Amino acid sequence: MLKYLISTVVSVVLLTTFCFVLWVVASHDYHWEAIRPYWGNLISGWWVTLLVSAAALVLSVVIGVLLTGGQLSGHRLPSVLCRIFVEFIRGTPLLTQILIGYYLIANSVGWDSRFGVGVVVLSCFSAAYLSEIFRGGIESIPRSQWLSARAIGFTGWQTYRFVVIPQAIRRVLPASAGQFANLIKDSSLLFVISVHEFTMQSREINANSYSTFEAYLPLIFGYFLLTFPISLLSRYLENRFRYEH
Amino acid sequence: MSIEIQHLSRHYGATRAVDGFSLQLDDSVQVLALIGPSGGGKSTLLRLLGGLEVPDSGTIRLDGKELPHSEDGLREFRKRNGFLFQSFNLFPHLSALENIVLPLVEVHGWTRDRARDRAQEVVERFGMSAHLGKMPAELSGGQQQRIALARSMAHEPALLLLDEPTSALDPEMKAEVLDVVEELCQAGQRIILSTHEMGFARSCADEVVFLARGQLVESGKGETLFTSPKTEVVRSFLGKVMKW
Repeated sequence: MLKYLISTVVSVVLLTTFCFVLWVVASHDYHWEAIRPYWGNLISGWWVTLLVSAAALVLSVVIGVLLTGGQLSGHRLPSVLCRIFVEFIRGTPLLTQILIGYYLIANSVGWDSRFGVGVVVLSCFSAAYLSEIFRGGIESIPRSQWLSARAIGFTGWQTYRFVVIPQAIRRVLPASAGQFANLIKDSSLLFVISVHEFTMQSREINANSYSTFEAYLPLIFGYFLLTFPISLLSRYLENRFRYEH
Repeated sequence: MSIEIQHLSRHYGATRAVDGFSLQLDDSVQVLALIGPSGGGKSTLLRLLGGLEVPDSGTIRLDGKELPHSEDGLREFRKRNGFLFQSFNLFPHLSALENIVLPLVEVHGWTRDRARDRAQEVVERFGMSAHLGKMPAELSGGQQQRIALARSMAHEPALLLLDEPTSALDPEMKAEVLDVVEELCQAGQRIILSTHEMGFARSCADEVVFLARGQLVESGKGETLFTSPKTEVVRSFLGKVMKW
């Protein structure tokens, strides 16, 4: 009884809110012609966001795996160093990391590719979160599975490859997909080092055309177009790796 | 099998799981059963014998050869043997067939075809042919344990170690699994098992060892130990477990 009451109330509240928001947004008096000259900028910004995110996504998985490996290696030095890196990155603002990464660190070694530095900083940031997700997934595999693998005569590497990782992948997929969506949205902070990505283009259009909503509304669709496929892919992979029928 | 265990000890903190255990058996023993109260050290002794753990002190000699202490040496030792756990421990993401095939291919270097043929042969012997394609979650406890048993003996292990193979099963499933173990005993497989199935220990084991508090209390031929136990501990234990 209570269950039905709660689900009814939740449905009504959500539906009402959704309709209200939709009505407010749709009934605004837009002047799309004001941003017409800038469509090209928006599209190129969307592409930059797509490229930065795609590159950072791949690199963050690589770094994340290395950080997880370092922490689980059983050797004290890499384990402590990886731990410090993860805690430091997770505990400080991305904005500051981007500024320091570009203006101090990259500058001091003579690297001035804003795009490149942006990808690397974003990857490190995301990798710190991913490595925690990966570590949690691996540590959630029951001891009995490790013991069984040992009894069979698997080496440590074989145990990871055939027993632990295939089971851990399914467990880390939902949280990883969430982190990938965060990475895409976090890429908007690269405006502080003037990477001409999607959000930065919107800010410039807003400044030039004085059309706030017309400049920012496309962001909703543009970012959702990037994050939603990741969500779908994650669902698909979860099903593919399902083993309890 | 010839077994020579001397002053074997394994402690976990203050718990003395195995505490100065010694035993000597000659070649006439093919099946050895470890019985005794829970927490008496049966599982730990079995893991030490199977090379899954390293003793704090003491030595184990199997067929005249001392068990290695290095992880690499122990892994080679474990590859030659088979180990079955109370809780089956099948890999849940692999089908019954793959659970058996994977170790044969990856650990023992067989071709996939040969491994598959062997898996089919073993599973047929255990009456499980119809279930080869199923995932562990689709099998009953007794079926899972028979697949796990097939996995542990498909490579024809020199020694098969069974850690309370039926303790997690209901009576009907216990019987399914014990039938298969009995068949292996009769086929000449060398087995060391820990068990609470007194009837099974009595009829199938050549030698029965009673363990309590990590120490050997009494050992002997099954028939002798069950009909005329020498110590009060064994007498009272058997009195309790045989009562019902």
